[in-house]
Amino acid sequence: MMQIKPILAALKRHKAGTILIALQIALTLAIVCNALFIIHQRLDRVARPTGLDESNLMAISTRYVGMDDKDTGAAIRGDLAALRQLPGVEDVVSINSYPLRGGGWSTGVRVNVDDKKPKGHTTLYFSDEHTLATFGTRLVAGRNFQADEIGEADPKSVGDPAVVIISKALADKLYPDGTALGKPIYIGDTKKPSTVVGIVERLQVPWNGNWSDTFFENAIIEPFRLTGSFTNYLIRSKPGQLDALLKAAPAALYKVNRMRVIPSDRGVRTFAQVRERAYRADRGMAILMGVVCLVLLAITAAGIVGLTSFWVGQRRKQIGVRRALGATQHDILSYFLTENLLIGVGGVVVGAVLAIGMNLWLVTQFEMARLSVLYVLVGVVALLLLGQGAVLAPALRASRVSPVEATRSV
Amino acid sequence: MLKMTHLSKVYRTEVVETYALRDFNINVNEGEFVAVTGPSGSGKTTFLTIAGLLETFTGGQYHLDGVEVSNLNDNERSRIRNEKIGFIFQAFNLIPDLNVFDNVEVPLRYRGMKAPERKERIMNALDRVGLASRAKHYPAELSGGQQQRVAIARALAGSPRLLLADEPTGNLDTQMARGVMELLEEIHREGATIVMVTHDPELAARAQRNVHIIDGQVVDLAEDPRFHHAVHQARANSPA
Amino acid sequence: MFAYYLQLGLRSLRKNPLLTALMVMAIGCGVAASMTTYSVFRATSNNPIPQKSSVLYVPQIDNWGPEDAADNKGEPPPAMTYTDAMNLIRDHRARHQTVLYPADLSVVPNDPSMLPFRENSYAWYTDAFAMFDIPFLYGSAWTQDDDNAHADVAVIGRELNDKLFHGANSVGRDISLNGRQYRITGVIDTWNPSPLFFDVVNTNGFDDASEVFIPFTRAVDLKIPTNGNNNCNKDPGPGWDSWIHSECIWLAYWAELPSTADADSYRQYLTGYSAEQQRSGRFHWAPNTRLRNVTEWLDYQKVVPQEAKVSLLVSLGFLLICLVNTVGLLLAKFMKRAPEIGVRRALGASRKEIYAQFLIEAGAIGLAGGLIGLLLTGLGVLGVTLVFEPDIAKLATLDVKLVLLTLLVAVMATVLAAFYPTWRAAQVQPAWQLKSN
Repeated sequence: MMQIKPILAALKRHKAGTILIALQIALTLAIVCNALFIIHQRLDRVARPTGLDESNLMAISTRYVGMDDKDTGAAIRGDLAALRQLPGVEDVVSINSYPLRGGGWSTGVRVNVDDKKPKGHTTLYFSDEHTLATFGTRLVAGRNFQADEIGEADPKSVGDPAVVIISKALADKLYPDGTALGKPIYIGDTKKPSTVVGIVERLQVPWNGNWSDTFFENAIIEPFRLTGSFTNYLIRSKPGQLDALLKAAPAALYKVNRMRVIPSDRGVRTFAQVRERAYRADRGMAILMGVVCLVLLAITAAGIVGLTSFWVGQRRKQIGVRRALGATQHDILSYFLTENLLIGVGGVVVGAVLAIGMNLWLVTQFEMARLSVLYVLVGVVALLLLGQGAVLAPALRASRVSPVEATRSV
Repeated sequence: MLKMTHLSKVYRTEVVETYALRDFNINVNEGEFVAVTGPSGSGKTTFLTIAGLLETFTGGQYHLDGVEVSNLNDNERSRIRNEKIGFIFQAFNLIPDLNVFDNVEVPLRYRGMKAPERKERIMNALDRVGLASRAKHYPAELSGGQQQRVAIARALAGSPRLLLADEPTGNLDTQMARGVMELLEEIHREGATIVMVTHDPELAARAQRNVHIIDGQVVDLAEDPRFHHAVHQARANSPA
Repeated sequence: MFAYYLQLGLRSLRKNPLLTALMVMAIGCGVAASMTTYSVFRATSNNPIPQKSSVLYVPQIDNWGPEDAADNKGEPPPAMTYTDAMNLIRDHRARHQTVLYPADLSVVPNDPSMLPFRENSYAWYTDAFAMFDIPFLYGSAWTQDDDNAHADVAVIGRELNDKLFHGANSVGRDISLNGRQYRITGVIDTWNPSPLFFDVVNTNGFDDASEVFIPFTRAVDLKIPTNGNNNCNKDPGPGWDSWIHSECIWLAYWAELPSTADADSYRQYLTGYSAEQQRSGRFHWAPNTRLRNVTEWLDYQKVVPQEAKVSLLVSLGFLLICLVNTVGLLLAKFMKRAPEIGVRRALGASRKEIYAQFLIEAGAIGLAGGLIGLLLTGLGVLGVTLVFEPDIAKLATLDVKLVLLTLLVAVMATVLAAFYPTWRAAQVQPAWQLKSN
């Protein structure tokens, strides 16, 4: 460390190269920090559980063609009966939407009839007493719907349900003291209360974008099967039977009534496919950022190797003189390592400021969270280590310069 | 051909001003072979760099081939260097990445000559220094004397009016030095003006006229033989 | 001279293949990342109807009031109620106008062995065909009389025509939609503007081409539900009729206003209309309206996905780092040759010639980087499906323009990066050589 002063003096004579390396380190740090942060955010999102028994689930979306809306209730019951008879089916429901589907209903919920503002935001699932068994989600309090509580409703004329099952996240939001069970809630702008009869452990909303982040586990299940030409069937298979059902289930539906459309591209999907599709952008973004980080680090390292090699080449004679004057190989090695460390420290200081500035700007431009300081620290350490690693080879070469070089002219 | 009057060159650093040349006067006529001598640090190399338009000067006038050069811009100075001046350096200064042919070609390229004329001139110049057979060799493959001959060929290829040589034999052994010197004399006989900086009195003696520089000022020994003698004496007495 | 410098440059680059490869790869990666993300950005920020983007307008009317608008920076809702849309159609203040929604229609083939299938379908007024410059292959749009008569007519797309009629002229024949027969008045040629400007709210701007169009008036009669979003700020009450007369928003409205004066007077009209609704007691707030043309509308609706912007920004940052890297390496490379530069200067090379020599060398690196970049961009464009929705990913293509741009950016960026090192090279004094000895 006694060398710092002469190193700084030498760096002053190589201002351009020093600034370029420091700048490169700074920019790399700024981008890598933010990229890592984006990766982490996206992976966190992808890792959020839906609350469903995903590995045994499949979804079919279907619409009747040319059927009068008032006949669809019976048709759906017929479809459900046919699907339940298939071997390998654990349970099945007709439902307006399901987690990660991407489209569904959302509304505000109040706890007092006179409240002007909703206390929480939630999604609405309309289905019957088979819902919990199909989802594979666990009741943590209360009970399931009873068969006689289930109604059928035109989507344009859904009434207020007497009883509802809600997710634990919504229960905690509406009644933070944990007393939601048996309490009334008011869905939308209704004056009629619905009583919470059951609370499920976890149930995600159908959306996975930023806009639903504030209520992504708030869900209400209403005991109505929606009529109308369009519906989704969510089928839970017995373990290991899913593959067989992918063909058997749509075939069974066509057998009941062939005047229907099951779209070829997203009509029949395993839940794994639903998940893949929903998180494609998040996963892709994480991959892209990961690749960018790796290539960036590689290029920065290569740049440091290149410039340091040049400096070593330029200073061979100088190094020879130092060696002739008694510097050990280790002295020369530590000279270059220290030099790089000094430049690196300069770079990461600027880079940390840039990283935070860039994040603040991204926060204002896009819906992004604040960068945690931890990322900056990890990035700082990573880049300093990268710099030391990159400089090692040229520094070792420098340390092997023979003292004889001192006597050679240019 | 080359005329400097009251010329001065000052190097400024943060602390001091150093006069490298002071009230410097010299006149070299067309066809002359002048040797410039002087102790190290006397300013003879500075003189040569200014004479070759490699560097600017601080005060006074410099007429080269009748042209006052102090007001020329970089392009015009480069042009004059290219067309009127040939350089021979102590360290040869060949470009190691280029072979002999390509090295000699460098000044011709900047003159925008067509390829056939370039080739003819290069081969003539190499013939003249006796290295035509080495055209495809790289500098590292040649001896010091051969390298300096290539450098001379490069200086000659553009048929300059003025040849400036800085210790042309300084890096060579005696035998090679003699060969290079004979070559320079031959070139002089063919009509070129040569200004050569050297610290070697023996070489200087072979020039038509000697100019001695001390502390950035000229003492024209040709005009003052006694002074010449005194300097010679002083040099002989000093312990090398 | 150019050839000479190029030859010198290539010789110098060959001399240090590792350093050269490093620079070429860095530039190639930087340019490829930028160009790949740019290809997506370009596709999503494309102007889908350049010839008319400044004369087609979306009016917005605040029918929900300041409380809801406050959640949306004071903006009126992005879609329209049936009530307002019908009033605007009735008032007919634009040269052309239409209201539209994605109708939930399925095609029933005459061939009994074929299953019914769904096509993207829109219910709108006949004006839409003219407004959106939709090209016809056979026949024409239905007439205004058809609109007024709520007629069972349809226009179908080329692909559907190929599927049902094997490409024959099907004008005058019938098509069965949701089990009801419609007479075909025209077949349009392939038409899929991207972004899908006329229904951004429901598609986010990207979807497959629409193959079926029927009159809006007929679709509402038949209570064909929307396949898009429906937003209500309060319970509309039971049934179709109470729904369409509620304050639920589910319709897109478009007006063609040929001049800015027309647009200004339309704005006044919208304000006046809202004021009238306030007087009649329907709105309890001052008029809050907007009128945006296609470009403004796509911008307001944030059609360019966040991913496209963030990844383009990150890639540009990446390119910047690659360039800083190149500046450093070129500096090292050029300064290593200071002795050569000194000699060249002494032999008569002017600064300009030194500039030329080194910038051409840099240009050669840039070109090589561009070629590598082109290769990587090709791979990148193929890999775009990893990051973006298929509807968007398929828009990212490596066309001639992108190829040229890639090469241009690579060469320009490298030459730009070379300016400082070259400047330093040109500063090398010709005298330097003599002095150092």
